[in-house]
Amino acid sequence: MAEQYPIIVLLVLLFGALLVGLSGMVDRRVCFPLAVTALSLAVVVSVGILQQVINGGVIRYFVGGWSRPVGIGIELRIDTINALVLLTITTVGLLTAIFSFRRVQEDKTEKTPLFYVLYLLLIMGLSGMVISGDAFNLYVLLEVSSLTSYALIAMGKSRRAATAAFSYIIMGTIGASFYLLGVGYLYLRTGTLNMMEIHQAILALDGSSSTIVVAFVLILVGLMIKMAFFPLFGWLPNAYSYCPSSTSCVVAPLMTKVGVYVMIRMMLTVFGTEWVFENLQYAQWLVGMAIVAILAGSVMALAQVELKKMFCYLIVAEVGYMVGGAWMANHWGMVGAIYHIMSDAFMTLCMFLAAGIFLKQAGVVRIDQLDGMFRKMPVTMAGFVVGALAMIGIPPTCGFFSKLYLIRGGMESGHWGYVVALLISSLVNAVLFFRIFEIAYFGKKPAEGHGHHENHSTVSVIKEANVSSLVPLLASAAIIVLLGIFNSDIVELIERALNGSQVIGMNVLSGKGGQG
Amino acid sequence: MKWVGLIAVLFTGGLLLSAMDDFPNWGDAHSPANASPVSQYFIEKTIEDSGVPNMVTAVLADYRSYDTMFETVVVLIAGIAIMAILRVGNQIPRGARPAPVSAPASVNDDHQDIIIGTTCRLLIPVLQLFAFYVIAHGHHSPGGGFQGGVVLGTSFILAAIAKGLDPALERLPETRYVKIAFVGVVIYSAFGVACLLLGENFLDYGVLSVLLPTIDAAEARSHSMLGVEVGVAFTVSAIMFAIYANLASKGELEGGL
Repeated sequence: MAEQYPIIVLLVLLFGALLVGLSGMVDRRVCFPLAVTALSLAVVVSVGILQQVINGGVIRYFVGGWSRPVGIGIELRIDTINALVLLTITTVGLLTAIFSFRRVQEDKTEKTPLFYVLYLLLIMGLSGMVISGDAFNLYVLLEVSSLTSYALIAMGKSRRAATAAFSYIIMGTIGASFYLLGVGYLYLRTGTLNMMEIHQAILALDGSSSTIVVAFVLILVGLMIKMAFFPLFGWLPNAYSYCPSSTSCVVAPLMTKVGVYVMIRMMLTVFGTEWVFENLQYAQWLVGMAIVAILAGSVMALAQVELKKMFCYLIVAEVGYMVGGAWMANHWGMVGAIYHIMSDAFMTLCMFLAAGIFLKQAGVVRIDQLDGMFRKMPVTMAGFVVGALAMIGIPPTCGFFSKLYLIRGGMESGHWGYVVALLISSLVNAVLFFRIFEIAYFGKKPAEGHGHHENHSTVSVIKEANVSSLVPLLASAAIIVLLGIFNSDIVELIERALNGSQVIGMNVLSGKGGQG
Repeated sequence: MKWVGLIAVLFTGGLLLSAMDDFPNWGDAHSPANASPVSQYFIEKTIEDSGVPNMVTAVLADYRSYDTMFETVVVLIAGIAIMAILRVGNQIPRGARPAPVSAPASVNDDHQDIIIGTTCRLLIPVLQLFAFYVIAHGHHSPGGGFQGGVVLGTSFILAAIAKGLDPALERLPETRYVKIAFVGVVIYSAFGVACLLLGENFLDYGVLSVLLPTIDAAEARSHSMLGVEVGVAFTVSAIMFAIYANLASKGELEGGL
C-alpha cells in the first residue's frame, strides 16, 4: 500500500473528478463534499509521501512495473523537494476548495459540477507534474493543468475574463510548445525521456552538443512564459484578476510556482548543475534579468489602484526572486529559491483569499475602497495582515526567511545588484501594504462629499465573512507563520535533496558556496 | 508590433536551425534515438511481452500507458471546458427539452433533401462499423481508440449536419454523452486500479491474467490494451460530438447550424 502512494495521490484526485462529474449531473450538492474529501485524502497521502521520503530516501515508482531497462516505462521520482512542493499543492488545493463553498451556495447554475471537475483535474495535473520523473510525461500533465486553468479563468462572469483567458491560452500554448520542442531536441540527442537517463546521456556527451544547448534554451523560454518571468508576463495580470475568486485563489499561488519548480528540476536533475553553470554561460544574464523582473514588478505594483492587479504584479516580482535565486549558482540561493516556492505559494494564497473575501463581502475592487476595514471585518484583516507582513518580510513569517536565504546567497556569490533589488522590492512591499493598513485602519480623508455619503449607506451592510471563507484564510496565515518558525527543518530537508546523492551534480553549488 | 513578431519568429527559427549540424544523420542506425536501449527493448521484446504486432500501440497503451491515460483526460477536459464556457446561464433542465412539436423540425422534414438523407442512411452505419473495426484492431494494425473514437464521433456529427442538431441530440442527449465521456476515463483507469488491487504497480496489466485463468500474462496485456482503447474511444467519440453540438449551437444545444 505505502509503496503505491505516488500513484494514489493522483488517483484520488482523478476519481474525485470523475465521481463529481458523474454524480454531479444527478445532484449538484454532492460536488462540494466529494471535492473536499478527495483533496483531504490527497493531503493525507502527500504527508505520507513526505514521511516516506524523509525516512527512506528517494521514491522511485515505475508505472506499469516497467523498471528495466530504465526509460521504457514512466518513472515517478520523489525526493524531499518534490514531496514538499506536492504537499504545498495539495494543501493550497484543499484550502481553496473549502473557500469555494460559498460559491456553491450562490451559484445555482449547472456549472458547479463542471467547475469542480476542472478544479480537481487542475490539482491532479500540477501534482503529477511535480512528481513525474519523465520529461514527456511532465508535458502531458502540463497540458492537463494548463487546459483546466484556461477553462477555469474563462468561466469568470465578466466579458474581460474571456479575453484575458484567450490571451492566456495563446501565451500558454506557445510556452508549452517551446517546452515540447525542447524535449524533442533532448530526445534527438539522448534517445530517452527519463530524466535521470537524459542526465547520464548529457554527462556522456561531455558538453559538446549544441542540440542540448538549444533544447535547454527552448525549455527555459517555454517555462519562463509559463511562470510569467518579466518580459513574458503580459498574460498574467488580466487573467488572474478577472477570473472568479475561487479560481484565482488556486491558480495564482500554484501555476507560476510550479513553473519555477519545473525550471529548478530541469537545472538540478535533467541537465545537471555542472552543465548548467559551467558549460552554459547564461547564469549572469539570468540573474540580471531577474533583477529587472523584481524591480519592474515592484514598480508596476506601485502604480496599481486595483487590489488584485497589485497582487498580480507582486507575483511577477516574486518570480524574479526565485529565478534569480536559482541562477546565482550558490547553495543558499538555490535553497532560498526552493523554500520561496513554498512560502510564496501560501503568501499569495493568503493575499488572494483576502481579496476574494473583500470582493464578496464589501464589493472591494480598488485599494481605496478598503476604507475602515479593520473595524468592519477584523478577522479577515487579521489574516490579511499576516500575509502582508510575510510579503514585506517581517521575522516570524516565512517571507522573512526566504529573503534571508536569498540575500545570503546573493552576498556569497557576489550578486550585489540582486541583493539591492530584493531590498528595494521589500521596501516597495512595505509602502504598498502600509498604505493599505492606513486606509483600512484610519479610513480615507473625509474629502469627497457624496462619496462619503455612499460609504455611509454601505457600512451597515458589510459583515464579517462566514466560516467557510475565514477558515482557509486563517489556516494559510497560520501556515505562513509555521513555515517561518520551522524554516530550519524545511531547509534541512531541501539541503538533503541538494547535497546528498539524491540530486546529482550539486558539487558546483556547494563548492561556490564555500568560496564566498 | 508586427516587427516584434517577425523578429521573434526569425529568432526562434534561427535557434531551431542552429543545432542542425549537431543532429544525427537522417536514418542513421546509430543515432541516439535508434541505438538507445529503450528502442532496442521495444523492437526486441514487444512480442514477447504482450504478443502485440503493432509496436506503436504497445508503446502507447502498455509501456507508456500512463501518458495515454492523461491524454484521454486532456480530451475530456477539452470537452468539459467548452461546455463550462459556452453553456453559460443556459437553464434548460436536462431531459426536459421541448418535444419535437417545435416548428423548425417540421420545416426540416418538409425540406429534407432526399440525396443527403439517403447518403447519410447509407454512410452512418458503415462509418460506425468501421469505427469499431479501427478500435478493435488498434493493437494489430494501424488504428486505436483515438482514431476509432474520432470516426465514431464523426458519424454522429454527420447525422447532426444532415438532419439538424435536434434529431441528433434526441438520439444522443447531453446527459448521455457527458456520461459516456466520463465513463471512458473510468474504464481506462479501472484497468490500472485493478492491477493496483491485485498487488502490482498501476497499469501493470500482466497481473490481470489472474482474473481469467485461461490466459497468460502476455495475453492479459494484449487484452487490456484493447480494453483501455475502448475506454479512450468512449471519451473521444463523446467529446467530439459534444464539441460539435456546443460550438454549432453556441452552447444552446438547439437549432444548430
